[in-house]
Amino acid sequence: MLPDNSQRVGAIVRPPISVLGIVVCLLLIVWSGQYGLSRVLGRYALLTHSISAAAEAVRLTPWDPDAHRALSTTFREVHMFREAEREVALAASLRPNDDLLWLDLGTARDQLEDAQGALSAFDQAVTRAPYYAHTRWERANVRLRMGRYDEAFAELREAAKSNRMYLSTLIDLAWGLSRGDAKETEQLAGIESANSRVEFARFLALKGEGTETLEQYKQAESCFTEVQKRQLVQSLMAAHEYEAAFAIWSGADSKSSIYDGGFEGVISFDEVGFGWHVPRAQSNIEVSLDTSEKESGSKSIRVAYKGDSPPESPVLTQTVVVKPNQTYRIYFAVKANNIVSGGLPVFAVNDARSNTVLSITNLPENDGAWEKRTLEFTTAPTCQAIALSLKRKQCQSSPCPIFGTIWLDGFAIEELKL
Amino acid sequence: MYRRHKRYKVIAALLLFAMAQLAMQIAFAASTSPTPNAAPIPQQFIARLTTKNNQPITVNGNSAATGASIVTGATIETGADQSATVNLGSLGTLDIAPNTKLVLTYDENGHIKVTLIYGCAVVAAKKKTTAEVGTEQGGTAAKTDSAKGGIIDICFPAGAAAPTVGQGAAAAAGAGAGAGAAAAGSSAGGLFGIGLPATIAIATLGTLAAATPIVAFQNNPSGV
Repeated sequence: MLPDNSQRVGAIVRPPISVLGIVVCLLLIVWSGQYGLSRVLGRYALLTHSISAAAEAVRLTPWDPDAHRALSTTFREVHMFREAEREVALAASLRPNDDLLWLDLGTARDQLEDAQGALSAFDQAVTRAPYYAHTRWERANVRLRMGRYDEAFAELREAAKSNRMYLSTLIDLAWGLSRGDAKETEQLAGIESANSRVEFARFLALKGEGTETLEQYKQAESCFTEVQKRQLVQSLMAAHEYEAAFAIWSGADSKSSIYDGGFEGVISFDEVGFGWHVPRAQSNIEVSLDTSEKESGSKSIRVAYKGDSPPESPVLTQTVVVKPNQTYRIYFAVKANNIVSGGLPVFAVNDARSNTVLSITNLPENDGAWEKRTLEFTTAPTCQAIALSLKRKQCQSSPCPIFGTIWLDGFAIEELKL
Repeated sequence: MYRRHKRYKVIAALLLFAMAQLAMQIAFAASTSPTPNAAPIPQQFIARLTTKNNQPITVNGNSAATGASIVTGATIETGADQSATVNLGSLGTLDIAPNTKLVLTYDENGHIKVTLIYGCAVVAAKKKTTAEVGTEQGGTAAKTDSAKGGIIDICFPAGAAAPTVGQGAAAAAGAGAGAGAAAAGSSAGGLFGIGLPATIAIATLGTLAAATPIVAFQNNPSGV
């Protein structure tokens, strides 16, 4: 039986189609092999900074932007910036919609001090990713270094608005360029929202700018959390900006007064600010509020010494805001029970900034009734605050143990009109 | 006559409406951001940061990577395995080693000052620039001659009594953004010239990738 026409055509066509299919499959195998190997080489090159491996990846797949990018990165790492720029430019031309490649190209050109070239690459990145902050941030930095401050800050502000992570750096840049001018920094950084004021106040407090910190704090007071408030007070006190710190801590303008002089409130170890401060780790010393012994009110503070402790370390302190060149008198009551030591307890008033002793009094040793004590002193022209502290006299020998109990109560301060 | 007046009134009303629309559009188009600096910032040079592998370091307490701007007075800090270079343009460069903290100040009059708090750094000053390097406690440790320019290599490990100057310690500690990668460009034989260990590593990776399905399907119940 003779084959019909369709069978004959099939017999003629089938072998070349099969051969073609096999060739296509082989080509696909080769291409996917090349592609896979190129990717492995590219990754290897990035891990080991091997230019040879990255170059081989490019040779295998010259159409792959990732291979060019890997080669560019390895060139950049060995400071071959021209070659790095060439490769990343090729990568960007192969995948023009990738904003990260344009960013890399901008960075490479910026490295070569080609500001205009960098700017045009960053323009492309911003066009491709207009809603992302990082593209605008990078472009703004180039503009900043080109001296185009108005354009740069407008864009930095936009970037910081869309990503708050940039805000602190923006404030820092504005501060640096305005040479520490708070008003100009506020304008340049676009401090308008309550959140940005919180960040700006934090920055100013760390810089020790008391008045400006307080100004920012007052404009957004309700937005500060307790933790943020404590941080501001802590930073300002560390910078010896006591008036501003007190205003934030108390919510009132500064006035010379001893906070909780009768120990009627709660005393916590982690007190930050102008209340009584008791250090957490004190060896052989117990500090507690006592309701059984009191000179006035319902409580006093009891300090029980039970062995060796460093004499110079204060057991109890409080910072009080004062006026410069002013004479003050401090009143308090004290009671002792069998104090025995080579370094007896004293109560001192120091200048909070310079730590100069302004006045000091020895405390009683033997059992007895409550004794009233006064300390009188005049503050220095630069003095903003004083530190009250219960500590011990220096010992002649070491170790210097101490035993016994002291009670303190009824602290008050009076401004003397001379 | 009355008709003509009416027509004018309509045209006037339309014109008024159009002008009101335009005014509104312009008002909405106005920038919402505050007018920047009343007193413009004086032009000043701003340095540029490059970090190793584009890893972020700390500048004035904030994270900063390659491309960041460094203004004078910046406190720069690197962690372990982080290094950086500050490009000071016509003044020179500053290479910072890992685990370093320093304060960098500079001006347009050819002065660079590096106060090393701890760690290692290399300052390369160009001609007409005086570079001064020191510590917080010890004052100036070394200075370059502005007529010649020069390089200062300084190390001041945390807890050390005095800094070590000019002994190459900072360069050895890996100062600079390109540190540790300089030998990478050399060809080392093996497949594609990437070196024998690399060839073995890639071949192993490839073999493992290929062998995984074979091993995985060994117990395939439907297998022949």
